[in-house]
Amino acid sequence: MNRRVLLVPLLAVLLLSLGCAAAPPKKDYTAFRSANPRSILILPVVNNTTNVEASALFLSTLPIPVAERGYYVFPVNMVKRVLEDEGLADPNLVHGADPARLCNLFGSDAVLFVTIEAWTARYMVLDTTVTVEFDYVMKDGKTGDTIWKEHRQVVNSSAGQSRGSGNPFVDLVAMAATAAIAKAAPNYMPLARQSNDQVLNTPGIGLPAGPYHSLYGKDP
Amino acid sequence: MTGVRLRLSLLLLSALAIPLATGCGTKRAYSWGDYDSTLYSYYQNPQETERYVERLGEIIQKAEVEKDKVPPGLYAEYGYALFEAGRLDEAIVYYKKERDQWQESVVFMDKMIRNTQRLKENRPGPPPGGNLPPPAGETPGAAPAAPSPAGSGPEGGAR
Repeated sequence: MNRRVLLVPLLAVLLLSLGCAAAPPKKDYTAFRSANPRSILILPVVNNTTNVEASALFLSTLPIPVAERGYYVFPVNMVKRVLEDEGLADPNLVHGADPARLCNLFGSDAVLFVTIEAWTARYMVLDTTVTVEFDYVMKDGKTGDTIWKEHRQVVNSSAGQSRGSGNPFVDLVAMAATAAIAKAAPNYMPLARQSNDQVLNTPGIGLPAGPYHSLYGKDP
Repeated sequence: MTGVRLRLSLLLLSALAIPLATGCGTKRAYSWGDYDSTLYSYYQNPQETERYVERLGEIIQKAEVEKDKVPPGLYAEYGYALFEAGRLDEAIVYYKKERDQWQESVVFMDKMIRNTQRLKENRPGPPPGGNLPPPAGETPGAAPAAPSPAGSGPEGGAR
């Protein structure tokens, strides 16, 4: 009986020592390892939502976490502008182009295609729910094969943020106010960063450490 | 009695778990400054190009002063911002810095340096080297013709 009680924290410690999060089913990294990219070309983001700003704003969150995984990352704004000069101003056109040709243009080993599936704020009097959803696909610059992909949705509700005061009426007013503020200026960026962080850094599903990372070739 | 011992071992285990969990805290390898928010505000206010150029310059300067490694892509990003501001000579300087620090950027940077140099030469106004040479020497057919009499090299001619 006592032993069984002990087993739970013991397991927890074991899990923690394995990684930051309880390990989800592991990915097959065979294709990634054989491509073994040093450099990643982050393309302008395709936007499948009605929010016109989302594409450029989300692009600004991508280079830091990808480079911090240990890869050379091409300058995202410069790449965007050079592609525009090449007649590829529409991200949909860029994503439809041959990955090998794109990589060849910049001398990149791999290319990251990111698509925004959701970038919305829904207002329901007492609650504003902000949702972001992204699709990440990395392709090898030589073969054009997909070597890594991930999909993530992050949802935040304004109602979940307010703390009760003890007075239900005050709480209701506070909740409505919080929801109204969240609706007026929904803050997508922290959710976008959270998505990138989870997708890139979660052991077993994230991007393996690159050549500039101390764990290069050592991560599980 | 056993309860006390159990609680103690639980405590020990949780004490073990805390540093393991916090050990995942992220410390950045490069000195990014506010590169992401610089891009963000530039995309929100695309007319503020001067501010954008200035902020990128500040990030690089700070990283260089503190002997931190300038992040991948940043010299090039700055170089391109200078290029768009018409400061072509400075743009080339930063493309070269990117190329020298990151071998992965060589192909792209060489291309950009060539394009910028070409643009500089074709720019209206006084050419940097004074008068342009007569176009006769520049004809593409003339160049490969020069080294062809390899048999009668300079050594043969000297005798």
